[in-house]
Amino acid sequence: MKKKTNTLLILALIVGLAFHGSAIFFTLEYTYDALIHLFFADHYADSWFDPWEYRWYTGFTVQSYPPLVHQVIGILSYIGGLKFGMYTVALIAIVLFITGAYRYTLLMTGSRRIAGYGAVLAVFSSTFVETLHIFGQLPSVSALSILLHSMTEIYLWIKTGKTRYFFTSASMLAVTVTSHHVTPLFGMVFFIAPLIGMAVMDASREKVDSYKALSFKVFWATTLQHFWRIAKFGFTGIFLLVFCIFPYWYNSKRNPITQVSIPHGSRDNFLEITSSGLVFFIIPWGVFLFVLPYFFYRYFSKRYIFFGLSFTLLTILGTGGTTPIPLMMLGETAFNILTLDRFTLWATIMALPIFAEFGYRMVEGDLKTLVQQKFGAVYHRVLGGLIAGGMLFMVLFTMTLGYFRPSQPAKIKMLPIVNFLGADSHDAWRYLPLGFGDQMAWLSAQTKAMTVDGNYHSARRLPELTTRAIERIENSKFRGVEGIGSLQQFLTVPEKYNLKYIFSNDKFYDPILYYCGWQRLQQLENGIMVWEKLNVAPIPQIMPKQDVPTIMKIMWGIIPLSTVLIAFFINIQMIWVRLLKSRKIEEHSFRKLELPYNKFPRKLLIFSHFWAFIVLLCLAYGIYLFYIKNVAQHSANNVVESYYDALDFKEFSRAHSYLDPESNVTIAQYMLEVSVTDGILSSYAKMDSLGIEIYDETKNSAKAKVATRWITPLENVFHNDYHELVKKDNKWYIKPSKFDNDIPPDQLFTANSTTYYNHGRRKITTQETYHEDVLKQPVLEILSAKLVKYKGQYSVIGELQNVDNTPADVVIKATLYNDLNKELANYNAKHQIKHKLMPKETTTFKINFEGIAWSSTKDTLPPTFDPDQFTPVSFEEQPTKFNLQSAGNIANTDLYKHVALQDLEYTEQGFNGVLFNSGVQEVTIPQLIVSYYDSDNKLLWVDHKFVPEGVRIQRKQFFNYKPLELDSLEIINSSLDNCFVNGLPNKAIADKIFPNRKLIHGKQQTQPFKGKGYDYLKFEINSYIGNPK
Amino acid sequence: MRIKILIVLTLILVSCSSKEEKLKPIIEPQIELVPLTNNFIAGDTISLLFKTDTVVSNLKLRLKNAFGNVLLNHLKINSDIIAFKFPMSYSRLAGPCHWKVIQEEKTLLKGKLNISTNKAKETHIESYFGPRSVTAGYNDYSMLTIAPTDVYDNPLDDQTPVTVKYQFLENISELNIETKNFIAWYNVRATTKSGRILVSSECNSTTSKELTTIVYPSNATGFSISASSAHNFADGNQILTLKSDIIKDEFDNVVSDGTLVTFVIRNEKNAHLYTIGTTLGGIAEARTLHPDKASRWEIQAFVTGAAESNVTEFSFTPAIKDYPVYFSKGNRNIDIGPFESFMKQLVPDGILLQLDIYDENGAFIETKKTTTKDGVCNIFLGEYFLPSGTYTLKFKAAGISKEFTKNIHDN
Repeated sequence: MKKKTNTLLILALIVGLAFHGSAIFFTLEYTYDALIHLFFADHYADSWFDPWEYRWYTGFTVQSYPPLVHQVIGILSYIGGLKFGMYTVALIAIVLFITGAYRYTLLMTGSRRIAGYGAVLAVFSSTFVETLHIFGQLPSVSALSILLHSMTEIYLWIKTGKTRYFFTSASMLAVTVTSHHVTPLFGMVFFIAPLIGMAVMDASREKVDSYKALSFKVFWATTLQHFWRIAKFGFTGIFLLVFCIFPYWYNSKRNPITQVSIPHGSRDNFLEITSSGLVFFIIPWGVFLFVLPYFFYRYFSKRYIFFGLSFTLLTILGTGGTTPIPLMMLGETAFNILTLDRFTLWATIMALPIFAEFGYRMVEGDLKTLVQQKFGAVYHRVLGGLIAGGMLFMVLFTMTLGYFRPSQPAKIKMLPIVNFLGADSHDAWRYLPLGFGDQMAWLSAQTKAMTVDGNYHSARRLPELTTRAIERIENSKFRGVEGIGSLQQFLTVPEKYNLKYIFSNDKFYDPILYYCGWQRLQQLENGIMVWEKLNVAPIPQIMPKQDVPTIMKIMWGIIPLSTVLIAFFINIQMIWVRLLKSRKIEEHSFRKLELPYNKFPRKLLIFSHFWAFIVLLCLAYGIYLFYIKNVAQHSANNVVESYYDALDFKEFSRAHSYLDPESNVTIAQYMLEVSVTDGILSSYAKMDSLGIEIYDETKNSAKAKVATRWITPLENVFHNDYHELVKKDNKWYIKPSKFDNDIPPDQLFTANSTTYYNHGRRKITTQETYHEDVLKQPVLEILSAKLVKYKGQYSVIGELQNVDNTPADVVIKATLYNDLNKELANYNAKHQIKHKLMPKETTTFKINFEGIAWSSTKDTLPPTFDPDQFTPVSFEEQPTKFNLQSAGNIANTDLYKHVALQDLEYTEQGFNGVLFNSGVQEVTIPQLIVSYYDSDNKLLWVDHKFVPEGVRIQRKQFFNYKPLELDSLEIINSSLDNCFVNGLPNKAIADKIFPNRKLIHGKQQTQPFKGKGYDYLKFEINSYIGNPK
Repeated sequence: MRIKILIVLTLILVSCSSKEEKLKPIIEPQIELVPLTNNFIAGDTISLLFKTDTVVSNLKLRLKNAFGNVLLNHLKINSDIIAFKFPMSYSRLAGPCHWKVIQEEKTLLKGKLNISTNKAKETHIESYFGPRSVTAGYNDYSMLTIAPTDVYDNPLDDQTPVTVKYQFLENISELNIETKNFIAWYNVRATTKSGRILVSSECNSTTSKELTTIVYPSNATGFSISASSAHNFADGNQILTLKSDIIKDEFDNVVSDGTLVTFVIRNEKNAHLYTIGTTLGGIAEARTLHPDKASRWEIQAFVTGAAESNVTEFSFTPAIKDYPVYFSKGNRNIDIGPFESFMKQLVPDGILLQLDIYDENGAFIETKKTTTKDGVCNIFLGEYFLPSGTYTLKFKAAGISKEFTKNIHDN
């Protein structure tokens, strides 16, 4: 028989390259992982042999991920840049995958025709589309493709024992190992083990006449016969796995992953969290779901029995948390580290040859005959059309998922940021991007500057990050209170990480930045706001680095690419021959095992129909549920949910459409009213949960109590609202609520104020500090300081004043010691302080000690982080002394002080007060800092409250504050001895600048109020302005 | 076969390593310094010549001065004389310079050169002045530090005369000081007047750049305040302006702009309210809103810790005398108003009305708040909120309380 080029394979390659090759340019950069690999590639392009990467996580080693794909991109980047390298590798991966699927199908079925089908179906398999175009897992795809290629070789080695096949298989396995570690590790178990089983089975089959005659005894005998080949290969496989990426294992041993488990959708219960079910089950399986009975039928035939077991296992493991089985099988640790979607990926790839076989039988084989015979030719055509259509639909659906439901923020122009970091030594400090999504990796790849964040959480070393189940600090808001809590630690003690600049692409984080003492620097031309923190030292010239033996560096730098070269040279001849058909090669033995396919089992056909019907039913029910839940005005519950959803996403015209049309609130009026409401809830909150209680429901009316929980950057806000609902023309509506009618007396106001400007450097010079341009640090005076214990928690409280003539930015750090002067903890004042002080302004402050002395407190960390219920540091010893270091730097922004306390009244519900904004800036979030004093007017405690609504210009805002009970408060130490200002002792400053301080002023400015454990109160106001004018 | 070749190749590659070096016998030459002077001036070209019996290549000169160490190779002049030429960075640095002739690790000869400051060429002045701001009065000062150097940045010898000049307002003072331990310094004391002090210095007819310190005013002293408004009716809408006179320090300087002044308001219920102003030209101005009920405010301002003002009083007379309340729709709909102000005009929008609801037994249920619009306001007690029954309703607005006991029912 003359060998012809397989037209289906050629077709698959052309279509695959054209389709995936052009699509990647629109998808790959928006995927979760691709840019991370790009960053790693940049590392290799920059320093091939040095595995230490300073730019993420205050330094980590790239030996924590197999390097091949990164190194290839890195090498190619010398030709056309990093992105060129990435796309080239992606194109290679596509070709390898299609040809790999072809060879794997050929091996499994023995038929070139079916293998052609396999190649075509591989192009359109939704699991491949998802892995490449949504997840961007380049190393995983490449490794899997090469694994598929190697399978034929492994089979032939086991079967024939020819040395040539041993080398080809080993060389390919080595490439797999260096591109991705998990693929060969599990591939050994799930792919290679059943493959060896099948090879032995085939060898046994040759000994007897039929599969019927193939008994276990025969199989066992054959296994023993092949034992040395299997053992040789097995040991080689393990050796390669260990040797090729030995530095990786070495590193894993040295830096074991301490990261607490980060929730991943693939571990969810797919029935509960349907979005995870869609992404990790429905999409990868796609049309395969309908053909499942056939897969099991075929895989549990004698030849494939081992694949059948493996396939079943993979299918079950891929269901994540839907059933308890994966957890039981993998154990707690593995379950929480592995992302289980890879099992589904492998299961669907494993099913590919059988699906190809099914396709072949359906299109031109015995199934066609059977269906036509039984149901008629039209039915066959319709059925075929449906399957093909379904497949195409899944591909298009998956491909466009990222377009309709973007998983990433809009593409950010990085050049202005890169330029900013490059200019004026800004890269001498660390930076932190906020709201960048996975694009942060692309930013990192383009600059030498370092960040405390990063996008490869297995390599994290900072305990602040490893003890938190957050992906990145950058998107901490999506991890709720825990994420925000982690972010706050970095913002409060930025000098620990030399963190000075923040690039904010998400206004959400602005309030917490302000309250942690950060200030806006400038808005870049791409709309990114740069925030900076004063009083942060630059990164030291010498940074800690974890070095590895030189041999490791050499291994890591040389082995991966060598495996590719070796594999290439060993296999080139075969490829050449196969490709050009230059000479006739002997048919492989598995080709003889091609089945005749002449009798499709009737029962299977009927069962398959039955199964498909059940799947369709489930699908229809799912869609119905989705519809009922999402039709906005279908029920009272839906309209409230939709209304709040619209408010949460700031779609005000949609929100207005749910309002009762007869209430005469025009859209213009509504938008106007909404636009003037400002505050933490309306501008900076993300709804976390929504509890709707519908009561008094009649046919046409109902009432709803809506309990909302909002995640704000500052703290959790619980809110209760009541709504009246009406039903008109079969649609439910909400009755609009009332707005404050307060109007200010005048339309035009004038106000004078002092403004400040700091030139920084007056001379245009690159010199570090031109001493003429060094501003004097404003002098502060600490008026009182105390170490107190309240509700089991230690805090340092106190009061300080800016005694200079220029406005000051205040940073204050407290350190606790025990009786033996052993340092126990240190922390900075977070938001219970006014960070910006005008001349002679005072502020009270409180410093809480959050558990950053992590190693010792790891056990005590609660599973979820609540910024209010933060983790107190656990002290082995009792703190008895403290040291306060405060530093002033000239501030020239955020000096708005014109919020007055206009009224205050004590009622049963606490203090009811009125704030009045007497200036010309709109205060978005007012914060009350409430201090408590004893009968001698000595400070006892400091508390705070964020007022949820803003104070508009020349208007008032009501607030309510419930005073605390301080009878359990214990003062441990009250002293000004170890207090320092700008490095100088506080006492010297007090004596020099305020020798005759009038202490009575303190008492005259406090509110007498007899409470539990205190006698005076003081309300201070700190205002955050969202849009300074 | 291919495999074998590969293995052999790898082995060859691995076994390649550098060859061992054999030790040469060391010949120790006899050397002596060709006498010269030991004193140089910074900037001179300095070469050390040595007479030697055998010229060996590994003879080196090690130099050590305040900057650090350097190893020099020799230049051969003729068969028995070798020379070492000092690099510029060593010949230009004043101070002792030690040298050693060494072979391998053995010192053969050593000595010391004295390089003195180059006074002949021009003098440079490095001067510092800080802190950049001081407080007016008698106990603050800025220090001017002058380090005159020669052209190679070597400090001039002690007792070099330096002239210091400083200017404040019309006065320009001048005085002569001398360097000691390489620097000359002078404390420029703060003046009692606020302003700017400029300083400069001169040495060997080279003048320094201009340096400056700002004398900020000292702490504020007692001041007085006044309150003013368009009227004194408690309408909850007009703005009360509080203003200080020019706040000065003990030396009659106007306090620096931006000084924070807290105006503490004590009302008749002993609530301490406040509003904040920052000074501009010494005058602090702060505003707050009129209360919406009759009040007597006692106002005092503070520059915390330093100074306070007199206490001024401001009394608000009631603007709203009374307001009607109408019930309808089973007493669920309540219309309150019209609210009429002091000239019988409708009050400006936004007067707060508070309704406290108690049940028959006097147990508190809830508070409802609303604001007036066009002089009236409306509260609807929906049945989801209040089931039918008898309730006590307490209204409070503009300091006027009203109480009703009503049966609330659905029509």
